[in-house]
Amino acid sequence: MLTNAPLQTITAEHLERLGQQIYRKLGLYFDEKKNYFLKTRVAKRMAALGMDNPDDYVFMVSYADTNGLEMQELANLVTTNETYMFREYDQLQGFANYCLPEVLSVKQDRGDKTLRIWCAGCSSGEEAYTLAMIIQEVFPQSQSWDCKITATDIDENMLRKVAAARYGQRSINDVPQEYKDKYLIAEGEEYAVRRRTAALVEPRYLNLNDRMALRAMRGFDFIFCRNVLIYFDDLSRKSVVDHFYNALNPGGYIFLGHSESIGRVTSAFTLKKFENHLVYVKE
Amino acid sequence: MTSLKEYATQLDGPDQAERIYAAEDIGYLNDPHGVPFLLERLDKESSRAVRDVIFQALIRIDADAAIEGSIRLLCSADPQIRNQAADVLRNKGARSVPFLNVAMREGDKNTRKLILDILSGNPASGTEEIYGAALSDPDQNVVITAVENLGKIRAEAFRGRIEDLLQQGAHPMLISACLEALVGIGHETSLVAIRRLFPKFEKLPDFQLASYLKAIAALGSAREFAEVASQLYVRGSNLRPAILSTLMAIHRRCPSLEASEILLSELETLVDSGDPPVCRYQAVRLLGLLSGRDDVYAHLVSWLSSTERLVRLGAAEAIRVTGRPGLELVLAAHLHEETDDEVLEALRC
Repeated sequence: MLTNAPLQTITAEHLERLGQQIYRKLGLYFDEKKNYFLKTRVAKRMAALGMDNPDDYVFMVSYADTNGLEMQELANLVTTNETYMFREYDQLQGFANYCLPEVLSVKQDRGDKTLRIWCAGCSSGEEAYTLAMIIQEVFPQSQSWDCKITATDIDENMLRKVAAARYGQRSINDVPQEYKDKYLIAEGEEYAVRRRTAALVEPRYLNLNDRMALRAMRGFDFIFCRNVLIYFDDLSRKSVVDHFYNALNPGGYIFLGHSESIGRVTSAFTLKKFENHLVYVKE
Repeated sequence: MTSLKEYATQLDGPDQAERIYAAEDIGYLNDPHGVPFLLERLDKESSRAVRDVIFQALIRIDADAAIEGSIRLLCSADPQIRNQAADVLRNKGARSVPFLNVAMREGDKNTRKLILDILSGNPASGTEEIYGAALSDPDQNVVITAVENLGKIRAEAFRGRIEDLLQQGAHPMLISACLEALVGIGHETSLVAIRRLFPKFEKLPDFQLASYLKAIAALGSAREFAEVASQLYVRGSNLRPAILSTLMAIHRRCPSLEASEILLSELETLVDSGDPPVCRYQAVRLLGLLSGRDDVYAHLVSWLSSTERLVRLGAAEAIRVTGRPGLELVLAAHLHEETDDEVLEALRC
């Protein structure tokens, strides 16, 4: 239960300053519409720390949190941790309408009929199966290609969920109806991914902090690592993104979360614009 | 086991991926002898990806050689190299301070500014000499940066010098930096120095008012409350959010403050105005803090049905602040008609 004391003393300016810190350190952006959401989470942290002056909390997060532990605690409260199919739809549109056709066309021209996608930090697999559906939908010839989506995670329990390919209503709420009809089968209160779609996804254990294991990941056309790196410290984040760079084929694309900017992590990728979509490519 | 020499050879190889791995491996080797190889490669490396990894390796190598090498790079003509070198030194923390101290004495104005950027927000011990010099620097930009940094780290030891700079400050940006730094440091007596410079609040130009209001918000009392309140409709509407925040901040320190009829009436007008929603939200909340009167409470309750979600949000919070008996019932009565997640959370909280 929140006490009202911290909640009432947190001002719009505190939230603005905290919002800047959260954006700088985690890449998560909160606009003023989310002020109350942020405020209640900050009040929760202040209560846990026994603080009643928001100035002190803002100061601590900004300048006295040298190891980033408090920022992590706050991140755990402000990030929802949930994943669902067709999350961050705009980005998926950029992938489906521009990046995927471009990569496929280049590969087809040189007679290379392979497509490799890596979902790094795949959690329970919703994103990997979303990509599998998109590939089958926009590129029906994929049946005759060697397509593979490697879904990696550090959590074995999550990987078991990926392998099961069964999801509850919450995970599929945003799936367009025509995709539901084509790629999912209702089984009781759950939905199973159809076998042909599920076969594109290969779950695999991988620790993103294991640099030797990362070196084995090569030859990908796309890497998706959305809303994962926000949990890493700066140096580890840079290191992982450099490995992503090596893991991509030239002309390959990387997708981080909506609020995460690769430009803040590395200068190695090139920013490319397709109409309203900004994407990063390895040239 | 692969030796440093082999990694160094790979670092000069033709394959970009191999060079990235070699730089990374040298970093994990954490051998000071690896630093010259990394710096030498940096000179001729054209791949940004490899450069990035070389700098990460310099961060990982726990040796003075990595710091000395990075300090030399602060003078590079390439801005990417300068910024990455600054990042290495920032990561080295207190260990780099003695080296930065020497560079502060010997570097040009750009290097001196960059050194302060490296120290920004880092209350590392041993930086007093650097800041002492920076506050007397002939370059205004260096002085302003030093003042900003000292405010961020709440450097009480430098409060007197910042107050002196405030009195001398001919440059408006230096004045604003001093005001904000004194807010950060947060000592009550700074208000005297601030008021000495600005004896007539109403004559302050708008561009300096925002910084001044922050100072008043942090340090002001009942006297300033009336003064700030009088400006609500005198100043431009763009300053209203800052004025309202200041009034709320003073009220937090002086909760027994009573608002004038004029202020209450202006706030009520503001809530129903066409001002930006955030401004209206602040006005509702301030009304909740300022008045225990029945007529104001009745307004708060009526704003729970406003078409503007932020007004409803402010009303829910303001009603809770009043602490009136039965307020939970009043809030609960609006649960069924509310559709906004955040307002619902505030009604239930």
